[in-house]
Amino acid sequence: MAAIAPGLGQVRNLWLISRFELNRLFASPRGWFALSAFVIIWYCLLRYPIFAASAQIQDPEVQRILGGMFGMAGMYNILNWPLPELTAYWVMCVVLLPICTLFFAADQTSSDRSRGTLRFLMLRTSRDSLFFGRFLGQMLIQTILMSLSILATLAMAWWRLGTLSAGAIEAALIMVINLMIIIAPYTALMAMCSALVKSSRMAISLAVVGSGVVLGLVGWAAWYLPALRELMAYVPGAQIPQVLSQAGWSTLQYSGLPLAQTAVFLLIGRQIMQGKSL
Amino acid sequence: MSAFIQATNLRKSFGSKLVLDNINFELSAGEPIALIGPNGAGKTTLFSIMCGYLTPDTGDIKLLGHTPGSSALFGRVGALPQDALFDPNFSLLNQLSFYAQLQGMNKARADADAMRVLTLVDLADCAKQKATSLSHGMKKRLSIAQALLGEPELVLLDEPTAGLDPMNALQIRQLIAKMSEQATFVISSHNLFELERLCGTILYLEHGKLVQQRTINTKVSQGFLTLTLEQGESAQVLKELALVSGVHKVDCQQKNEYLIWFDAELAPDTDLAVLQALRSHGWRYKSLQRGQSLEQQLFAVANG
Repeated sequence: MAAIAPGLGQVRNLWLISRFELNRLFASPRGWFALSAFVIIWYCLLRYPIFAASAQIQDPEVQRILGGMFGMAGMYNILNWPLPELTAYWVMCVVLLPICTLFFAADQTSSDRSRGTLRFLMLRTSRDSLFFGRFLGQMLIQTILMSLSILATLAMAWWRLGTLSAGAIEAALIMVINLMIIIAPYTALMAMCSALVKSSRMAISLAVVGSGVVLGLVGWAAWYLPALRELMAYVPGAQIPQVLSQAGWSTLQYSGLPLAQTAVFLLIGRQIMQGKSL
Repeated sequence: MSAFIQATNLRKSFGSKLVLDNINFELSAGEPIALIGPNGAGKTTLFSIMCGYLTPDTGDIKLLGHTPGSSALFGRVGALPQDALFDPNFSLLNQLSFYAQLQGMNKARADADAMRVLTLVDLADCAKQKATSLSHGMKKRLSIAQALLGEPELVLLDEPTAGLDPMNALQIRQLIAKMSEQATFVISSHNLFELERLCGTILYLEHGKLVQQRTINTKVSQGFLTLTLEQGESAQVLKELALVSGVHKVDCQQKNEYLIWFDAELAPDTDLAVLQALRSHGWRYKSLQRGQSLEQQLFAVANG
């Protein structure tokens, strides 16, 4: 067998593990079931709320009212995306995807731990390559699914207009990059929770209850020490209102916070993974 | 040169319960090594530490000169962990090939090696099936197959025949005997009969302590015969066998099984004399084995 340097071997394994996660979605009956559900849900979202909303957004009167409403919330640029379909898609994804990620990315290592499959894997690869490989795999899967959904949104706009501008395609690319950054801390949070427990259900409960407890504690502490209210600006998703206030590439200026949160969750998760008995 | 496996002052507790207490041993490569002990003796904990699933509280263990879990051991140490299952979403071939790729093989080589190990455990026909469609015995054989992927130098098997029917157990024993020429096996089991046939060295754990480390010693065995009769009145058999020339003592170990002490140097043909005595009394025997069984050896030492 060709000898591979241990460090390089673990990087190779990280990539193999993340690719195997793609097999889980595209080459297993369970994955096909999830994909079918995804297609049906997105068909319903595109066909009804997004289609209806985009039709409404095209009406100048509605645009004026919405502009006023969003403007009051500081989201002046929300109607500045090139297509009304993309505007509706954008608002819906930014609000819903973080919650969906809590469920979708919940089982990164937990059921393998419960089943004992991790013991087979740990004879061949490091805990780091498994932990980060599974995280990367989840990010790849979600990026592929988001790309498919935005392609469907563009197809719907093309069906209406008969053409697509380069600006619309560029906007779609910006949205996918933004959405990846927005879901990254939630995926990392679930990697961390999944490393702690033995089922995806427990991981979801831990994430929801843990977040609630942390928010409650910060709120309670801020009652006595108002300066602590600043901490609320660092919780996952805190940047979302600011992202919604922009359009185009300027939306990416708020990426620092979610990327930092992702790094923190991954580092904590890695420590848990390293210390956990199998 | 460092030992193949070396444990130094190994201790492990779960809460207030001390599971491994100052374990020290050195093992060399070669014949299979048995890890024996009653339930709760600490065998599986020691196994888990050797595999890198658990870390000891204090002390140190090295396999092939490396700490368990080290990337230097990936692909060099195979293991059958107790109660570990394959992913139910993928075929056997798919998963074994993935494991082989993690060990450094390319896809084509990994597929070929997965088929090789499946053939070794007589599961090649099930390569496209999922683990959920297999019986308990087949799952065990599958788990052994993953331990043999690549060219491991050391294979750790935790209870490889536990819960298996005699036919499956026999197949696994034959496989281990065959593969033990290529790798050193460490086998944890309650089945002394099985270990006696497979292993050359024994680690005997009790209450978390290493009570014995020994080779199955033929010198110790030379002055003993183990006789199993089809039937016979125990008191009369004991009396008649004691009269055989060269026999020092006879003991009935369990129903129809007798342990005979004799002087191996002065009366090396005592076994023939015993057979003649059996024939003269018309007692039919099932087996006459030179030496003590592993159970008798362990029991004799444990009782001083």
